[in-house]
Amino acid sequence: MSHAKPRDLLVILRRGPHGSSQLREGLDTALVAAAFGRTVTLLFMGEGVTALVADQKAGPLGQKGTAATLEMLEMYDIDRLLVEASALEQFGLGEEDLMLEATAVSQASIALEPASHRLVLVF
Amino acid sequence: MLLHTLNRSPATSRVYQQALAAMGPEDRLLLVEDAVQGALPKLMRYFTGLEGRLFALREDLVARGLEGQCDPSVQIVDVDGFVLLTEEAEKTVSWY
Amino acid sequence: MPTTTVSRYLVVEDHEVALDPEGHLVDLDDWSPAIAEILAREEGITLTAAHWEVIEVLRAFYARYETAPAMRPLVKAVALALGADKGRSLHLMRLFPGSPARIGARLAGLPKPANCL
Repeated sequence: MSHAKPRDLLVILRRGPHGSSQLREGLDTALVAAAFGRTVTLLFMGEGVTALVADQKAGPLGQKGTAATLEMLEMYDIDRLLVEASALEQFGLGEEDLMLEATAVSQASIALEPASHRLVLVF
Repeated sequence: MLLHTLNRSPATSRVYQQALAAMGPEDRLLLVEDAVQGALPKLMRYFTGLEGRLFALREDLVARGLEGQCDPSVQIVDVDGFVLLTEEAEKTVSWY
Repeated sequence: MPTTTVSRYLVVEDHEVALDPEGHLVDLDDWSPAIAEILAREEGITLTAAHWEVIEVLRAFYARYETAPAMRPLVKAVALALGADKGRSLHLMRLFPGSPARIGARLAGLPKPANCL
């Protein structure tokens, strides 16, 4: 998990889809940074792991979700996705339940991430 | 060394757990706003393992009448101390 | 995000099509190749086969991701769909001079790219 060269931005996502705008704001921030050529890591923590659950739909009133944005990440070359292993366990989810390939990481490796990025933003 | 700031009470929000998980062994945690409740002796258990690295903002303690109630292991800083902590840190991460 | 503010109307064949203040379609379902031709003329562009294939890539991108791409992902999407020699910013700059992501999105009937400055 260690990187010789620090990456530019760590975006920590700790909210699920639909309930608030924070997840979308975090993803938008990541996309803007990536559009300008910055290296971005996404780390899904706590409730944030539910953002990755497969088969999401629009909300009951037709509100757009965040799944399409997540699928778009690869087009912005955002391909380093980390997910808190203990949060997956807390929600009873496995990596196979997720819509994207994300690496489950232990608390010990999560603690290394903020220091290896130039900027850390929590959403 | 990074400075993490937390503004939600550990009695209300689990965000403190994520802050703790993301903290490196030298990182410091500064409690601000409602998070200063975590400086009370009964709530200190949420922050075990941070001896010498746990701070609380005086202004927010005073506003809540909690300044005299803090656990002695918590270091109380005023706004100038907050600025100093920020300057000493490589960068700051805010948890809210 | 599509805006609902109507700034002006294009007359296309026998009906009017609403445009927002930045010249993007208010109702994305109004799009047709004939509208792309008119919008291109406003940009001083004559559409060729090379333009149309990029417009198709833009429309497919939007259909899949619900967002108009910024420049980098547009370059990547064009490279994936049309090959590496076309998936270069130089090629796109030649086709849609100035701001390929923004002008391309406009001609393809998409909203303005959100993260394109």
